[in-house]
Amino acid sequence: MEREVARPVPPWARILNKVRQRLRPKNATETRIRRRQAMIGLLTRRLPWLRLALFCVGYIWMIIIPSPQLGRGTYIDENALQPGQWALNCGQVNTYWSWGDVHTADKYLAQLEVLRDTNATSDQRAQFVMKEFHRLGISASTQSYMFSARSGRREGTNAYGILSSPRTSGTEAMVISASWLSRTGEGDGTLNLRGVSTVLALAGFLKGYSLWAKDIVFVISDGYMDGMHAWLAAYHGSSQSNLEADRLELSSGVIWTALNIDYPGHSFSHLGIFFEGLNGRLPNQDLLNSFQRISRYTGGVPVILYDHLDPRENPGHSDLPSWLPPSIRGQREVQTYAYQAKNVARHFMYQARGQSSGVHGLFHRYRIDTFTLFALPATGPHGFHAIGRIVESTLRTTNNLLERLHASFFFYIMTGPDRFLKIGSYLPSAILVSVAMMFGGLRVWVDAGWKVQSGSEKPLAGSSTNTTPLKWSKRQRPVLDVLCIMAFTHILGALLFSLISTSWYIEHQTMASPLLFMLLAILPSIALVFPPNADPHASGSRSSVLKALNLCIASTVISIISVLNFSLAALLAMLLGVPLSISSAKGPIHIRGLKYAGYTLLGLGWLLFAKEQARQAIWNWQILSVWFAPFACIVYVPLVLQAGLVCLLPPDS
Amino acid sequence: MSSSKSHSPPVDFGLAFPALVAGRLLLALTSLPDALKHDHQLSSALTSYSNLQEGIYLFKHGVDPYSGGSFRHSPLYLALFTTILPVTGVGAAIVWTLCDAVGAWALVNIWRARQRVSSTERDSLVAAAYLLNPYILLPSLARSTSSFENTLMLLSLMFASQGKASASILAICFLLHLHPPSMLLIFFPLLMLIITNPTSRLASPRPFKELNPNRDKLYPLMAECVLYACTFSLASTVVSGGTAWIMQTWGASVTLPDLTPNTGLWWYFFTEMFDHFRPFFLMVFTVHLLIYILPICIKFQHDPLYAAFLLIGVLGTFKAYPTLSDPGLFLSMIAIFPEMYPYFRHPIVTALLHLHASLLMPLFNHLWLHQGTGNANFFYASTLVFACSNGAALVDCIWAGLRIAIGEEKEGYAVVQE
Repeated sequence: MEREVARPVPPWARILNKVRQRLRPKNATETRIRRRQAMIGLLTRRLPWLRLALFCVGYIWMIIIPSPQLGRGTYIDENALQPGQWALNCGQVNTYWSWGDVHTADKYLAQLEVLRDTNATSDQRAQFVMKEFHRLGISASTQSYMFSARSGRREGTNAYGILSSPRTSGTEAMVISASWLSRTGEGDGTLNLRGVSTVLALAGFLKGYSLWAKDIVFVISDGYMDGMHAWLAAYHGSSQSNLEADRLELSSGVIWTALNIDYPGHSFSHLGIFFEGLNGRLPNQDLLNSFQRISRYTGGVPVILYDHLDPRENPGHSDLPSWLPPSIRGQREVQTYAYQAKNVARHFMYQARGQSSGVHGLFHRYRIDTFTLFALPATGPHGFHAIGRIVESTLRTTNNLLERLHASFFFYIMTGPDRFLKIGSYLPSAILVSVAMMFGGLRVWVDAGWKVQSGSEKPLAGSSTNTTPLKWSKRQRPVLDVLCIMAFTHILGALLFSLISTSWYIEHQTMASPLLFMLLAILPSIALVFPPNADPHASGSRSSVLKALNLCIASTVISIISVLNFSLAALLAMLLGVPLSISSAKGPIHIRGLKYAGYTLLGLGWLLFAKEQARQAIWNWQILSVWFAPFACIVYVPLVLQAGLVCLLPPDS
Repeated sequence: MSSSKSHSPPVDFGLAFPALVAGRLLLALTSLPDALKHDHQLSSALTSYSNLQEGIYLFKHGVDPYSGGSFRHSPLYLALFTTILPVTGVGAAIVWTLCDAVGAWALVNIWRARQRVSSTERDSLVAAAYLLNPYILLPSLARSTSSFENTLMLLSLMFASQGKASASILAICFLLHLHPPSMLLIFFPLLMLIITNPTSRLASPRPFKELNPNRDKLYPLMAECVLYACTFSLASTVVSGGTAWIMQTWGASVTLPDLTPNTGLWWYFFTEMFDHFRPFFLMVFTVHLLIYILPICIKFQHDPLYAAFLLIGVLGTFKAYPTLSDPGLFLSMIAIFPEMYPYFRHPIVTALLHLHASLLMPLFNHLWLHQGTGNANFFYASTLVFACSNGAALVDCIWAGLRIAIGEEKEGYAVVQE
């Protein structure tokens, strides 16, 4: 050694050697393997903490979605609607709707009130509206329809008129609609008489102007949702087995935007925006933002979200519970959070169930961007004059569209009328939870494939410093058996769905619900007929493989759904995230039975405790094709039952 | 998956196979095909059922279907569907189901030839892996002609494995007319397979020479191939009454004239491309497909069937107008190589990737084209995920095919790729 050192080495060779060693060390592969093993070891050891952190961050993120720090102010993203806006912002507000038109609307209202007081049938009402359209020189017609759902029939007659565009050939159209029933109480029977009069008066008024580049279609739909659904289905030629509707005698071009007017009270103080469509689809946000600006600057009417008054501007209202000390309740930040949380919660309630918050939601199915303009009933100060001007101006803005709104936001959460969250600020919350579940699933999967060899299993008692590495042996995972069990639970879910959509269930719901609950709770235990695992060294337990696949699939479902319907994904993340992760087959048999009962309650509790919602969801599926009910039965229930089975199946010995 | 070996008693093939085919036929007779046939993911511009119908209609009415620019099927389809095969109604359902049944039967025979036995317990599983694979089932329900390509591919491999050289060459030349890239990629390993045999030698690799290849057969086979190809070309020219079909069918996979979205990687790339770069990148993409042939054939010279299998995977991932059935064929073929299951690199990750991709693709397609809230980038992103999952499957199989030769891992040792 020393002799070798003694020999002089030229400096260039020394540098070259160093470089060579840095680039390609002698035992590079070994280093790499060791590094990789160390990294995997570190990751495996820290995995529970990592998962906990992911869960915490995900859930906390969900809680802070309404926080004022997370959102930002709305802005117009796409130039398509700008010209109308530009005129507005420069103060060139020039609307022509006048007090004369208000008088016309009042006269229509008086006639409609007569119809109401004489208990006119839907057909008579539709005939009246059609005649009025004809009197204005607008081609109009009526359409009768009948829905025959399992829960009963609904019939009615729609009236509609089409004002042909004086400037183009009528290949494009926009719709102004009002339903006979207002959305108050989700269609509880309040009449929308002023909404209908507004549409009628607007028809006469709009006809006097030649600036329309699109046909304007006026629709007075019967009922709440049903009438418009029948009209839209007929307009777009889509057929539905339980709907008998007349063909439309008149038609126009492609509908790009629509505006649904809901004005149930005598006067109004604010205009509320309702925008959630069927199956969680949202309209283009530019439309809402434009309307919000027009309403504020042209009409001078403040805009709110839904019918929630902002407590900061209306001191009488407070969304905070009364038991909070005044020092907290008085803080502006807290008030803002409470107000925005209320909006977000309302949004979640609609979107997660795929429900539409108004008649506008039916349009979304046909790619038409719409929202409902809800005149919040109050003693004043606004009436027909304000709403007419705002609708006129909004129509002139949408009239500017040269192509379908496409580039800007379709994914957002509105936290206030002028604040919103972009997709990037809310989506990660659900994704993080789903990633945590995926890590959990992969961990269980790996564990199911390995077994500590007996003999080297336990270090000697007392010798805590024993560092001899455990000997692991590979074993098979019973994947095929587990896939069969999973398929079985999903088939059970499909069975459940087909049972609750029968008329038998709807008629005898009080009796049938507990029966179905018992059936669904007992049937999965058929999975126990598989003979218990003979040799734990040759193959892993079904329980752990089931847990692994269950977690992986639940995680996949959550992350996929989050793009389609974030509220539903968030709901799933809350319902499935932790419960599925803590399922285990450990403990004595009665504890495991109890756990199973808990999972059954989580999965099927709605059969017992949410009967009305279940009915509603089934009606929504049968008439409006809202897929929430089948999704809950065929995906959600089986996933929870699988977690229950994880507890029930024989554990890893 | 690493442990799909079942404990359940083997199902009799004579019973299971007809049952599977009958189930498929029932599915094909429902209203599903009407709902699926316009789906972008299930048929590409080259394999679309509605294009085929249009071409046949034009052909029957005396109009040259190749003058319009939308019909890109081979004249051989025209000849078959206007004479012996029905193209609509129950007849079509039977034709497409039978086509898949023949494919499954060919796959089972490849498996038997590889094992050198006349029947095994695994036969039913192999048939089910082909007939019930959703990637193959759905395009077949959508009446995509890619079902015929898959069947021909499997038939040529089957005949090659059974030593029936001429039949194999005939099938591959037929495939050349339906879809040239498949034939080009598979031809070399197919020849290797014909002059050797299909038994598994993955665990004991050795040079090709030691397999006693019958080299004398090579030149007659090539001549035969040229002869068949010329005959088919002549037939095509006679049928279509001109040579316009050459650019419309063969040219399409190279010049990419139709950019209708599909599950592949080409369409979006070339939608975004400036015109003056187009020829260069078309060349790059095409050559990229071809460069895999030699390395894979050299590395897996001891097992040409495995090389062919890997090239089918390359094709399913990178070809110009793919449908789901192209990667589907690759995934189904995994069923005939059970020896490599314990050596997969990351099977669960690949499976989950495929699960994500197969859910994301229809979803983003829906968001873009039906719901209108997404755009083309969404669907393209999901096809990228799909490409990743196919790539992961390919990497898994290549790794397993090489790794199996080293055998079980010993305590304290690790295997690395240098």
